[in-house]
Amino acid sequence: MTSSHRAAELIEAPDDFDTINKLYRERKWSDGLPIVPPTQERVARMLAGTQRARNEVVAQLAPGFAEATVENIAINAVMAGCEPAYLPVLIAAVEACADQAFNLQAIQATTNPVAIWVILNGPLAKTLEVNATFNCIGEGSWANATIGRALRLILRNVGGALPGEMDRATQGQPGKFTFCCAENEADSPWEPLHVERGYAKSASTVTVVGAEGTMNMNSHSKDAAELVHVFAETMIHPPSNEYTHGGEPWLMIGPEHAEILQRGGIDKSELKRRLWEASKMRAGLMSVKDRQRVIDSRSEELGPITLDTMLPISTRPEEICIMVAGGPGTHSVYIPCFGNSFAATREIRP
Amino acid sequence: MQIAKRGRAAVAICSSAFLTLGRAQARALGHAELPIAVIAHPFGVRTRDEVRVLADGCVDEGVKLATGHNTK
Repeated sequence: MTSSHRAAELIEAPDDFDTINKLYRERKWSDGLPIVPPTQERVARMLAGTQRARNEVVAQLAPGFAEATVENIAINAVMAGCEPAYLPVLIAAVEACADQAFNLQAIQATTNPVAIWVILNGPLAKTLEVNATFNCIGEGSWANATIGRALRLILRNVGGALPGEMDRATQGQPGKFTFCCAENEADSPWEPLHVERGYAKSASTVTVVGAEGTMNMNSHSKDAAELVHVFAETMIHPPSNEYTHGGEPWLMIGPEHAEILQRGGIDKSELKRRLWEASKMRAGLMSVKDRQRVIDSRSEELGPITLDTMLPISTRPEEICIMVAGGPGTHSVYIPCFGNSFAATREIRP
Repeated sequence: MQIAKRGRAAVAICSSAFLTLGRAQARALGHAELPIAVIAHPFGVRTRDEVRVLADGCVDEGVKLATGHNTK
């Protein structure tokens, strides 16, 4: 990556928490919550969390296309309350967000509620105590909360996606404050997400997902085939970007459900194949206008689309994404995707 | 934007609700003066025929913004 000659601007402000927060509120530099003032000392401490040069340009972030340097990533990390050890995670997350297939431009500027879900894999997730178990996408974990929050601050302060301005989300969603967890690799019967995506098990990675929201799936079934049916029925929803464009739906499988599936002879690739078949949706369930959007978007892929066409949720079964997270309990989560977006993974480097 | 960068006449088209985004995006990409023709929002709820009428109504403004001349 290139280096930038533009250092962050220094602003003189009274050494007073309330005054600084008022300033950040007025200048729209916060997500609506109080921030930790990014003083020179705090930013220097944060920068000690990486070996990368302060002025290295990590990426240019849509839709404003400003340079995300290591320094301004660090500033936003301070504001969010991150520990210096989290900085490499954020740098990798920014790199991943700038992956062309992720389609950050659309994610940042759309009317869709899409948030960016950050998933950590590998040994670093454990070292940093990124929660992968109880309440892993809820509150309570410092790493989960502040890493997700810092990425959102970067997306708005560097990427320029301010609500009502370049961020055109009709309603948005709570995940836009923070949305981060690790995979529960220890309790998963399957290979971890990052290994499936081509990384060594010993590598630590961050994966970003354009996530539309979360839909809980509470099933006490102990039958693998029945569970697949429950998941597939949840995935079917007509006003969906996935069926419209062919997407990349995600499932966060609870460890108990994963165990039932594995015992029933369903591994991850088999689960994808079965879900892809079972979640096909009759085009006639969609409104006339929405069906027209599918015709515009997917006729080349699917041929003539009639009321009786069974629409697959993604182009291929492999595009259904599976990870295991959560604590004990009979819950899994369906996470619909934004549609025109594919998750991106990057290795976390010091 | 790419057309404007090549020195050709270019006009973006936005619905009124997205004009803020259009202007900010043009500024961010170094073309703050990019002309933008505006269509009344919303058109997501309109039929295709209604959208065609809106598009027809936008042609004159688009041509004027691109060339500085009226079509009539």
